Amino acid sequence: MIQPQTHLNVADNSGARELMCIRIIGTSNRRYAYIGDVIVAVIKEAVPNTPLERSEVIRAVIVRTCKELKRNNGMIIQYDDNAAVVIDQEGNPKGTRIFGAIARELRQLNFTKIVSLAPEVL
Amino acid sequence: MWAVQRARAFLASSTTSSYSSSLSQSLKPWKLGFSGFKHVSSSSVIDGRRCEGLLDLPEIEKVLSDVRADDVKVMPVPKHCDWADFMVLATGRSTWHVKNIAQALIYKAKQKQRGAKRMMLPSVEGQEGGKWIVVDSGKVIVHALEEKARAYYNLEGLWNSETLEKEADLGNALVKIRRKNNSKKPAQRSA
Repeated sequence: MIQPQTHLNVADNSGARELMCIRIIGTSNRRYAYIGDVIVAVIKEAVPNTPLERSEVIRAVIVRTCKELKRNNGMIIQYDDNAAVVIDQEGNPKGTRIFGAIARELRQLNFTKIVSLAPEVL
Repeated sequence: MWAVQRARAFLASSTTSSYSSSLSQSLKPWKLGFSGFKHVSSSSVIDGRRCEGLLDLPEIEKVLSDVRADDVKVMPVPKHCDWADFMVLATGRSTWHVKNIAQALIYKAKQKQRGAKRMMLPSVEGQEGGKWIVVDSGKVIVHALEEKARAYYNLEGLWNSETLEKEADLGNALVKIRRKNNSKKPAQRSA
Protein backbone atom coordinates (compact mmCIF):
# COMPACT_ATOMS: atom_id res chain seq x y z
CA MET A 1 0.00 0.00 0.00
CA ILE A 2 2.02 2.90 -1.33
CA GLN A 3 0.58 6.37 -1.09
CA PRO A 4 2.07 9.82 -1.49
CA GLN A 5 4.77 10.47 1.13
CA THR A 6 5.68 6.77 1.36
CA HIS A 7 9.42 6.15 1.27
CA LEU A 8 10.63 3.24 -0.88
CA ASN A 9 13.91 1.45 -1.41
CA VAL A 10 15.36 1.19 -4.89
CA ALA A 11 15.80 -2.33 -6.28
CA ASP A 12 18.21 -1.55 -9.13
CA ASN A 13 21.62 -0.05 -9.84
CA SER A 14 20.32 3.22 -11.28
CA GLY A 15 22.06 5.23 -8.56
CA ALA A 16 19.07 6.26 -6.46
CA ARG A 17 18.88 4.83 -2.96
CA GLU A 18 15.62 6.04 -1.56
CA LEU A 19 12.47 7.38 -3.18
CA MET A 20 9.41 9.13 -1.90
CA CYS A 21 6.13 8.59 -3.72
CA ILE A 22 4.37 11.80 -4.70
CA ARG A 23 1.70 10.58 -7.11
CA ILE A 24 0.19 7.37 -8.46
CA ILE A 25 -0.07 7.31 -12.26
CA GLY A 26 -3.25 6.35 -14.09
CA THR A 27 -5.63 7.17 -11.29
CA SER A 28 -7.53 10.21 -10.25
CA ASN A 29 -8.92 9.29 -6.92
CA ARG A 30 -7.23 6.13 -5.77
CA ARG A 31 -5.69 5.85 -2.39
CA TYR A 32 -3.00 3.19 -2.67
CA ALA A 33 -0.60 1.71 -5.20
CA TYR A 34 0.38 -1.96 -5.22
CA ILE A 35 2.86 -4.17 -7.06
CA GLY A 36 3.02 -3.28 -10.76
CA ASP A 37 1.71 0.27 -10.40
CA VAL A 38 3.68 3.20 -11.77
CA ILE A 39 4.30 6.07 -9.42
CA VAL A 40 5.92 9.48 -9.64
CA ALA A 41 8.60 9.78 -7.02
CA VAL A 42 11.28 12.10 -5.73
CA ILE A 43 14.79 10.85 -5.11
CA LYS A 44 15.49 11.41 -1.45
CA GLU A 45 18.92 9.85 -1.36
CA ALA A 46 21.28 9.02 -4.20
CA VAL A 47 24.69 7.42 -4.65
CA PRO A 48 27.30 10.11 -5.38
CA ASN A 49 28.65 10.51 -8.94
CA THR A 50 25.68 8.89 -10.69
CA PRO A 51 23.40 10.36 -13.34
CA LEU A 52 20.48 10.54 -10.90
CA GLU A 53 20.59 13.19 -8.23
CA ARG A 54 18.80 14.01 -5.04
CA SER A 55 15.45 15.80 -5.37
CA GLU A 56 15.01 14.73 -8.98
CA VAL A 57 11.48 13.71 -10.03
CA ILE A 58 11.31 10.32 -11.75
CA ARG A 59 8.89 7.50 -12.51
CA ALA A 60 9.17 4.11 -10.86
CA VAL A 61 7.41 0.74 -10.89
CA ILE A 62 6.62 -0.84 -7.56
CA VAL A 63 8.13 -4.33 -7.36
CA ARG A 64 7.87 -5.26 -3.69
CA THR A 65 5.39 -4.26 -1.03
CA CYS A 66 5.03 -5.02 2.65
CA LYS A 67 1.33 -5.37 2.01
CA GLU A 68 0.67 -8.93 1.00
CA LEU A 69 -0.09 -9.86 -2.60
CA LYS A 70 -2.76 -12.52 -3.04
CA ARG A 71 -2.93 -14.90 -5.96
CA ASN A 72 -5.93 -16.81 -7.19
CA ASN A 73 -4.45 -20.12 -6.11
CA GLY A 74 -4.31 -19.00 -2.49
CA MET A 75 -0.65 -18.09 -2.46
CA ILE A 76 0.24 -14.97 -0.49
CA ILE A 77 3.46 -13.06 -1.12
CA GLN A 78 4.68 -10.52 1.36
CA TYR A 79 8.07 -8.80 1.30
CA ASP A 80 9.93 -7.13 4.10
CA ASP A 81 10.34 -3.82 2.30
CA ASN A 82 8.70 -1.50 -0.17
CA ALA A 83 10.86 -1.32 -3.27
CA ALA A 84 10.61 0.20 -6.74
CA VAL A 85 12.56 0.19 -10.01
CA VAL A 86 13.31 3.52 -11.69
CA ILE A 87 12.02 3.77 -15.28
CA ASP A 88 11.93 6.50 -17.88
CA GLN A 89 8.93 7.82 -19.79
CA GLU A 90 9.12 5.01 -22.36
CA GLY A 91 9.18 2.29 -19.72
CA ASN A 92 12.82 1.33 -20.06
CA PRO A 93 14.55 0.74 -16.75
CA LYS A 94 17.24 3.31 -15.88
CA GLY A 95 19.46 0.76 -14.21
CA THR A 96 20.88 -2.29 -15.91
CA ARG A 97 20.56 -4.80 -13.08
CA ILE A 98 17.80 -5.53 -10.62
CA PHE A 99 18.24 -6.88 -7.12
CA GLY A 100 16.04 -9.14 -5.07
CA ALA A 101 13.03 -11.26 -5.85
CA ILE A 102 10.34 -10.03 -8.23
CA ALA A 103 6.73 -11.20 -8.50
CA ARG A 104 5.50 -12.90 -11.65
CA GLU A 105 2.56 -10.50 -11.85
CA LEU A 106 4.82 -7.87 -13.38
CA ARG A 107 4.98 -9.88 -16.59
CA GLN A 108 1.20 -9.82 -16.95
CA LEU A 109 1.25 -6.08 -16.41
CA ASN A 110 3.67 -5.71 -19.33
CA PHE A 111 6.88 -5.10 -17.45
CA THR A 112 8.67 -7.99 -19.14
CA LYS A 113 11.88 -5.98 -19.29
CA ILE A 114 12.08 -5.74 -15.54
CA VAL A 115 11.22 -9.42 -15.15
CA SER A 116 13.90 -10.45 -17.62
CA LEU A 117 16.55 -8.46 -15.73
CA ALA A 118 15.54 -9.85 -12.36
CA PRO A 119 17.69 -12.49 -10.67
CA GLU A 120 14.73 -14.34 -9.20
CA VAL A 121 11.08 -14.50 -10.19
CA LEU A 122 8.55 -15.65 -7.62
CA MET B 1 -7.83 -1.78 -28.39
CA TRP B 2 -8.64 -5.23 -29.72
CA ALA B 3 -5.03 -6.16 -29.85
CA VAL B 4 -4.59 -5.19 -26.25
CA GLN B 5 -7.56 -7.23 -25.17
CA ARG B 6 -6.33 -10.22 -27.09
CA ALA B 7 -2.93 -9.90 -25.58
CA ARG B 8 -4.45 -9.69 -22.14
CA ALA B 9 -6.60 -12.74 -22.75
CA PHE B 10 -3.59 -14.66 -23.91
CA LEU B 11 -1.54 -13.56 -20.95
CA ALA B 12 -4.21 -14.51 -18.51
CA SER B 13 -4.46 -17.97 -20.00
CA SER B 14 -0.70 -18.45 -20.15
CA THR B 15 -0.16 -17.33 -16.59
CA THR B 16 -2.91 -19.50 -15.21
CA SER B 17 -1.38 -22.45 -16.98
CA SER B 18 2.04 -21.59 -15.65
CA TYR B 19 0.57 -21.28 -12.18
CA SER B 20 -0.98 -24.67 -12.50
CA SER B 21 2.30 -26.17 -13.62
CA SER B 22 4.17 -24.51 -10.79
CA LEU B 23 1.49 -25.64 -8.40
CA SER B 24 1.83 -29.20 -9.57
CA GLN B 25 5.59 -28.93 -9.12
CA SER B 26 5.23 -27.54 -5.65
CA LEU B 27 2.78 -30.26 -4.76
CA LYS B 28 5.28 -32.90 -5.80
CA PRO B 29 6.87 -33.72 -2.47
CA TRP B 30 3.55 -34.33 -0.80
CA LYS B 31 2.00 -36.47 -3.48
CA LEU B 32 4.90 -38.70 -4.27
CA GLY B 33 2.85 -41.51 -5.70
CA PHE B 34 1.13 -39.60 -8.46
CA SER B 35 3.48 -36.72 -8.91
CA GLY B 36 5.33 -37.88 -12.00
CA PHE B 37 2.23 -38.72 -13.93
CA LYS B 38 0.46 -35.55 -12.95
CA HIS B 39 3.33 -33.33 -13.88
CA VAL B 40 3.81 -34.89 -17.27
CA SER B 41 0.15 -34.63 -18.17
CA SER B 42 -0.13 -30.99 -17.16
CA SER B 43 2.99 -29.96 -19.05
CA SER B 44 1.92 -31.74 -22.22
CA VAL B 45 -1.43 -29.97 -22.11
CA ILE B 46 0.31 -26.66 -21.77
CA ASP B 47 2.64 -27.40 -24.66
CA GLY B 48 -0.27 -28.39 -26.87
CA ARG B 49 -2.03 -25.16 -26.15
CA ARG B 50 1.08 -23.10 -26.80
CA CYS B 51 2.01 -24.73 -30.08
CA GLU B 52 -1.27 -23.78 -31.75
CA GLY B 53 -0.97 -20.04 -31.90
CA LEU B 54 2.33 -18.74 -30.83
CA LEU B 55 5.61 -18.52 -32.62
CA ASP B 56 8.25 -21.13 -32.04
CA LEU B 57 11.98 -20.87 -32.30
CA PRO B 58 12.69 -21.73 -35.96
CA GLU B 59 9.95 -19.37 -37.16
CA ILE B 60 11.32 -16.54 -35.09
CA GLU B 61 14.81 -17.14 -36.40
CA LYS B 62 13.55 -17.11 -39.95
CA VAL B 63 11.67 -13.84 -39.45
CA LEU B 64 14.72 -12.27 -37.85
CA SER B 65 16.95 -13.28 -40.73
CA ASP B 66 14.36 -11.98 -43.21
CA VAL B 67 14.31 -8.52 -41.64
CA ARG B 68 18.09 -8.60 -41.39
CA ALA B 69 18.42 -8.26 -37.67
CA ASP B 70 22.08 -8.23 -36.67
CA ASP B 71 23.77 -10.43 -34.16
CA VAL B 72 20.91 -12.78 -33.37
CA LYS B 73 21.57 -14.86 -30.29
CA VAL B 74 19.41 -17.61 -28.87
CA MET B 75 19.98 -18.36 -25.22
CA PRO B 76 18.38 -20.95 -23.01
CA VAL B 77 17.03 -19.26 -19.92
CA PRO B 78 18.85 -19.95 -16.65
CA LYS B 79 17.38 -22.67 -14.55
CA HIS B 80 16.26 -20.45 -11.74
CA CYS B 81 13.68 -18.60 -13.84
CA ASP B 82 10.97 -20.96 -14.92
CA TRP B 83 8.84 -18.37 -16.66
CA ALA B 84 10.34 -18.87 -20.13
CA ASP B 85 12.44 -21.34 -22.07
CA PHE B 86 14.41 -19.27 -24.55
CA MET B 87 15.54 -15.69 -24.87
CA VAL B 88 16.30 -14.40 -28.35
CA LEU B 89 18.42 -11.27 -28.67
CA ALA B 90 18.51 -9.24 -31.86
CA THR B 91 20.07 -5.90 -32.71
CA GLY B 92 18.58 -3.29 -34.99
CA ARG B 93 20.52 -0.53 -36.68
CA SER B 94 18.07 2.23 -35.77
CA THR B 95 14.88 2.73 -33.82
CA TRP B 96 12.91 2.24 -37.03
CA HIS B 97 14.67 -1.01 -37.71
CA VAL B 98 13.94 -2.24 -34.19
CA LYS B 99 10.28 -1.31 -34.58
CA ASN B 100 10.15 -3.14 -37.90
CA ILE B 101 11.60 -6.27 -36.32
CA ALA B 102 8.80 -6.25 -33.76
CA GLN B 103 6.18 -5.58 -36.44
CA ALA B 104 7.46 -8.47 -38.54
CA LEU B 105 7.15 -10.85 -35.60
CA ILE B 106 3.59 -9.73 -34.88
CA TYR B 107 2.69 -10.04 -38.56
CA LYS B 108 4.09 -13.55 -38.62
CA ALA B 109 2.02 -14.49 -35.58
CA LYS B 110 -1.09 -13.13 -37.29
CA GLN B 111 -0.34 -14.98 -40.52
CA LYS B 112 0.20 -18.21 -38.68
CA GLN B 113 -3.27 -18.24 -37.17
CA ARG B 114 -5.24 -16.75 -40.03
CA GLY B 115 -8.82 -17.95 -40.01
CA ALA B 116 -8.69 -18.97 -36.40
CA LYS B 117 -11.72 -18.13 -34.32
CA ARG B 118 -9.69 -16.46 -31.62
CA MET B 119 -6.28 -15.04 -32.35
CA MET B 120 -3.59 -15.03 -29.75
CA LEU B 121 -1.09 -12.25 -30.23
CA PRO B 122 2.19 -11.89 -28.41
CA SER B 123 2.31 -9.04 -25.97
CA VAL B 124 4.69 -6.30 -26.99
CA GLU B 125 6.41 -3.84 -24.72
CA GLY B 126 8.24 -0.65 -25.57
CA GLN B 127 6.97 -0.14 -29.10
CA GLU B 128 6.79 3.64 -28.90
CA GLY B 129 10.40 4.17 -28.00
CA GLY B 130 12.10 1.68 -30.25
CA LYS B 131 15.18 1.41 -28.05
CA TRP B 132 14.28 -1.92 -26.56
CA ILE B 133 11.22 -3.88 -27.67
CA VAL B 134 10.24 -7.13 -26.00
CA VAL B 135 7.94 -9.52 -27.88
CA ASP B 136 6.69 -12.00 -25.33
CA SER B 137 5.28 -15.02 -27.13
CA GLY B 138 4.83 -17.42 -24.28
CA LYS B 139 7.86 -19.59 -23.79
CA VAL B 140 10.10 -17.74 -26.25
CA ILE B 141 10.88 -14.11 -25.54
CA VAL B 142 12.40 -11.92 -28.22
CA HIS B 143 14.36 -8.84 -27.26
CA ALA B 144 14.99 -6.42 -30.11
CA LEU B 145 17.46 -3.76 -29.04
CA GLU B 146 19.20 -0.83 -30.60
CA GLU B 147 22.98 -1.11 -30.66
CA LYS B 148 23.54 1.38 -27.83
CA ALA B 149 20.84 -0.15 -25.67
CA ARG B 150 22.31 -3.59 -26.19
CA ALA B 151 25.70 -2.42 -25.06
CA TYR B 152 24.16 -0.58 -22.10
CA TYR B 153 22.04 -3.38 -20.71
CA ASN B 154 24.47 -6.19 -21.60
CA LEU B 155 21.85 -8.91 -21.36
CA GLU B 156 24.19 -11.68 -22.51
CA GLY B 157 26.53 -10.88 -19.65
CA LEU B 158 23.68 -11.01 -17.19
CA TRP B 159 22.38 -14.40 -18.25
CA ASN B 160 25.73 -16.04 -18.96
CA SER B 161 27.87 -15.04 -16.02
CA GLU B 162 25.19 -15.35 -13.41
CA THR B 163 24.22 -18.86 -14.28
CA LEU B 164 27.81 -19.99 -14.52
CA GLU B 165 28.72 -18.47 -11.18
CA LYS B 166 25.72 -19.88 -9.44
CA GLU B 167 26.28 -23.37 -10.75
CA ALA B 168 29.94 -23.23 -9.83
CA ASP B 169 29.07 -22.07 -6.32
CA LEU B 170 26.59 -24.85 -5.91
CA GLY B 171 29.16 -27.37 -7.09
CA ASN B 172 31.69 -26.12 -4.56
CA ALA B 173 29.17 -26.12 -1.79
CA LEU B 174 28.32 -29.76 -2.32
CA VAL B 175 31.91 -31.01 -2.50
CA LYS B 176 33.33 -32.09 0.80
CA ILE B 177 36.69 -30.51 1.56
CA ARG B 178 38.94 -31.47 4.42
CA ARG B 179 39.83 -28.38 6.41
CA LYS B 180 43.44 -27.36 6.57
CA ASN B 181 45.09 -27.17 9.93
CA ASN B 182 46.84 -23.79 9.98
CA SER B 183 47.63 -23.62 13.67
CA LYS B 184 51.25 -23.52 14.71
CA LYS B 185 50.67 -25.65 17.78
CA PRO B 186 51.82 -29.22 17.59
CA ALA B 187 48.94 -31.56 17.15
CA GLN B 188 47.71 -32.99 20.41
CA ARG B 189 47.96 -36.68 20.65
CA SER B 190 45.15 -38.25 22.56
CA ALA B 191 46.73 -41.43 23.70
